[in-house]
Amino acid sequence: MARKILIIDDEDDIREVAALSLETVAGWEVIVAGSGAQGLARAAAEHPDAILLDVMMPGMDGPTTFRELRKNPGTAGIPVLLLTAKVQSTDQRRFADLGVEAVLFKPFDPMTLSTQIAEALGWS
Amino acid sequence: MSPANLDNARPDLAVALNSLWERFMPEMRRRAAIVETATSALALGSLSSAQKQEAASAAHKLAGVLGTFNLEHGTEVARRLEVLFSDAECPDPTSALQLAEHLRSIIESRK
Repeated sequence: MARKILIIDDEDDIREVAALSLETVAGWEVIVAGSGAQGLARAAAEHPDAILLDVMMPGMDGPTTFRELRKNPGTAGIPVLLLTAKVQSTDQRRFADLGVEAVLFKPFDPMTLSTQIAEALGWS
Repeated sequence: MSPANLDNARPDLAVALNSLWERFMPEMRRRAAIVETATSALALGSLSSAQKQEAASAAHKLAGVLGTFNLEHGTEVARRLEVLFSDAECPDPTSALQLAEHLRSIIESRK
């Protein structure tokens, strides 16, 4: 089943590789945002099936963006997966405690990113 | 997945990834240069806190992306540099220099 995924990441290279991966391997529709603020607007307007959200972004970071998504009734129900290059266990626990569906790690494998997302969200 | 396996499994993805790498190579080099500049300043004893922070950030970004382009070892080296420049203590100049040179060679060696 074709899914629509919103990728929110300030780094062009990560955003483009993730989009390429999800479009090419899974055939999903991908929309992108380069900041937390832009991501909030796109999520409200486009109602994606899931959001892949970078943690470290200038301005509104990933955790803040996530909390704003949850405050808005129009976006509160969209599953969110955090994407981070932080590998320390304290960071991982902190991110998991936010209430996101899953925490995925950079660098990801472009070949299996869609599988990781699908498994985390129980998509068959 | 190794580059060879990726080529076999999804040649379309491998070709597109190579194209993206070429496009983003200047950005990879820019980040490596930030780390190298900080390393040079460190060796001269003139590393500012802003430079140290910028180097940690550049290394963090490289750690997050290099493995995605099949440069897993580059991710490991960049992560070690990130730790060095994030440390409250003054980083060891010799280690930083060796790692920065290694990082540069990994980036430049990808075809």
